[in-house]
Amino acid sequence: MIQIVQVVFRFGPLLFAFGFLAPLTAQIIKSAGWTPPFGLSSLTTGLIIGGLLGVVAQARGRWI
Amino acid sequence: MSDISTTTETGLAKIEREIARRHIGKFPYLAVTWAFTNIVVWLSLWPLVMLGVIPLWAGFIIATLNIMLSYLPSHEAQHDIIAQPGSRLRWLNELVGHISTIPLLLPYRVAKLTHLEHHKHANDPNLDPDHGTQAKGPLAAIWTSIRNRQPGHENAYRGTLQRIGRADVLLDYVVYELVFYTILFTLAWTGFALEAALLWWLPRHIALTYIQFYLSWAPHHPATETGRYRNTRSFRSIVGNLGSMGMQYHIVHHLHPRIPLYRTPQAYWEMKPVLEARGARIEEL
Repeated sequence: MIQIVQVVFRFGPLLFAFGFLAPLTAQIIKSAGWTPPFGLSSLTTGLIIGGLLGVVAQARGRWI
Repeated sequence: MSDISTTTETGLAKIEREIARRHIGKFPYLAVTWAFTNIVVWLSLWPLVMLGVIPLWAGFIIATLNIMLSYLPSHEAQHDIIAQPGSRLRWLNELVGHISTIPLLLPYRVAKLTHLEHHKHANDPNLDPDHGTQAKGPLAAIWTSIRNRQPGHENAYRGTLQRIGRADVLLDYVVYELVFYTILFTLAWTGFALEAALLWWLPRHIALTYIQFYLSWAPHHPATETGRYRNTRSFRSIVGNLGSMGMQYHIVHHLHPRIPLYRTPQAYWEMKPVLEARGARIEEL
């Protein structure tokens, strides 16, 4: 159990990116009425943007 | 107060204690009412915003104020101001302590143990768990607060709990974090990401910055001196005493932590000549 929790916290930025930032970005796109490029859905766009931010934050150890 | 310029150190200490005694032991109705009202309002925001009764932007403002105001009732409980151990209303003290900081994600036991260490070792770079908020100026203080919350940054409270042999309390932290992120992710993936962001996630970050600024950085700045009369100060805030959550008179709190927050201004003005005579950091007020 402790090991699972440690893994969860170690990958916190990635989990936060896919668990929260991705759907948040998708909802912002929808609410603002924007159309993502290349025929991407708002959720796919959210996953790409959120995922990229998460990967960078995971690698750097900080969001900003 | 009569002229105290000729009063001995022992005499000054006695006068200070007598003034403090007059303010200790008063039941803090304000803090108790504040704690329950604050949590009820914050919880009410969720259905009210989700059902469209109030707009999300208004919910965001109210939630931010709620979470900014969530720490102080718990702070009164941490110092046993609502009820002492063994007294009839002790349950109320502990209840206020536990519930008020839920939106802030700060478990009561973590807050209490680390805060008492802050009092014991204020401004000690190695032992004060709040020393990480030290910064050269206001903007640097805000940036430091944000930087301290980045994923790779070492958590000073965790280190303090381990140092004092209370690593068991870290479990509270883990439970709070896991529950928080489970709720946040569930809301986000069921179509309420904006609501989760603007009623909890972002307000909490704004509140943490504000709380660390006024409860930790401002009253201790520049946080270089130790000793009861030098490790904190009185100061004038540009947003007044209410806007700085009563922290202008923080020196009274450090000297006499059982004086309720709402009585610290009065205690300060009564005590001021004594504090000056004893070499306390009386600044701007």
